[in-house]
Amino acid sequence: MQTLIQAVGLVKRYGSRTVVDGLDLSIRQGEVLAIIGPNGAGKSSTLDMVLGLKKPDAGRVSYWREDPARYIGVQLQSTPFFPGFTALENMRMFAAFYGLRPTDSELLEHLGRCELGEAARTDAARLSGGQQKRLAIAMTLMHRPQLIFLDEPTAALDPRARREVRGLIRSLADSGTSVVFTSHDMEEVHKLASRIALICGGRIKASGTAEELLATHGADSLEELYIRLTDNAL
Amino acid sequence: MLTIIRTMLVGIFRDAHTLVWTIVFPVAMLLGLGLYIDDADYSERLLAGVLTTNVLFGAAMVTAFYVMAHRNRGIYKLLRVTPFSTAAFIGANTAARTALTLLVSGAVVVMSVLALGVKLSGLGLALMLAILMIGAVCFTAVGFIAANLSKNESDVNMISNLISFPMLLTSEAFYSLQNAPDWLRTVGRLLPFHYFVEAMGAAVGQSVDIGDVLPPLGILAGFAGLCLGIAVYTFRWDADGAAYRAGKRAAGFRPGAEG
Repeated sequence: MQTLIQAVGLVKRYGSRTVVDGLDLSIRQGEVLAIIGPNGAGKSSTLDMVLGLKKPDAGRVSYWREDPARYIGVQLQSTPFFPGFTALENMRMFAAFYGLRPTDSELLEHLGRCELGEAARTDAARLSGGQQKRLAIAMTLMHRPQLIFLDEPTAALDPRARREVRGLIRSLADSGTSVVFTSHDMEEVHKLASRIALICGGRIKASGTAEELLATHGADSLEELYIRLTDNAL
Repeated sequence: MLTIIRTMLVGIFRDAHTLVWTIVFPVAMLLGLGLYIDDADYSERLLAGVLTTNVLFGAAMVTAFYVMAHRNRGIYKLLRVTPFSTAAFIGANTAARTALTLLVSGAVVVMSVLALGVKLSGLGLALMLAILMIGAVCFTAVGFIAANLSKNESDVNMISNLISFPMLLTSEAFYSLQNAPDWLRTVGRLLPFHYFVEAMGAAVGQSVDIGDVLPPLGILAGFAGLCLGIAVYTFRWDADGAAYRAGKRAAGFRPGAEG
């Protein structure tokens, strides 16, 4: 399995506080990698460094190709839409950021695949929480990325919207797109992830499939494992 | 780039606040003052004043609020992980704002000719177009700078007012500073709006001397370049983030990026 991104020995400090402390992380082709860990564990800083948003104080990030930005899609925790723009116009703007000029019918078809066809001409800010998340994900898929980062994609969504977003992630994985997502929902992580990396204290505390982790640590559930490993570290 | 400019323009025209303050207000101000003070010389000054003030507030202040809204929504952070460059995004914003400025200015000029009887020469109109374009670029960049120096909406309001009002008050947009203290006129001369008004004032009217327009226009162009450079240099990806200069040097997708 090809390694898409390899981070070695990442360190990030804010003043005297070390948030990421010599962290190693690899992201492989075709996998659904869940990054979990308590708030303040270093997940966001790690992702920011991997995505080139922050410079590591030490360590190295290698990408599988020269121009990774063209092949990576990113959905942040917030749903960043242009104020006053419809779903279709937001899609058009973000497509343009990747040098694409899709026609309206292509955009509508793309929105339809994310079950947003009827909402295409609605102000993005007026969409429901689930629709906004799906639109944010749809925007990251416009340029057919090989790898997609989703930061807490189901946070603050109702059960129906969660199910819709999970379905979208599953269909992405089925189509061969590598997915990296963060979540605090262990059931969701168990259902979606082919590999899990638990970050705690700025380091990878455990990594593997859910079954490997449960067997290694003798836990009955991911939630139990999470609490046990993060308790020890705190 | 064209797609982005076009989509931004659509967004601008859909925004009620922009429509009122950038389009309705200058036309109403021109007609209100122009019809009240029924004087041909003042009508010319009024036209120059309305055109330049509209650019100052429309480009600088509205841009500052737009940039802040985009930043706070995380749009710039997301933009940063795309292949689209920040400089190109600032350029697209500036181009959309310039296009809007030209459209509104066109309406103001037509109203001044029809309703106030202002007479303009062909050369003057061509020079006015050039002045408006350079002014729009300059003051849109000023709007970016105001937003870059701000962390929230209150800051934007305060900083854009701190930048815009001294420029307006030390200029001759609506009144003469002939009897004003020297220090006030000196302060005015240090600011780009002074040259914007001076160039526009020289271009409005029937007899236009290009020699009166080019020097202030050249200085305005210099300010535009300087302000654009500062706008790019101080650009911030997010409210808490480092300025663009530092961020660009520090990060970005680079194969084998090392700390």
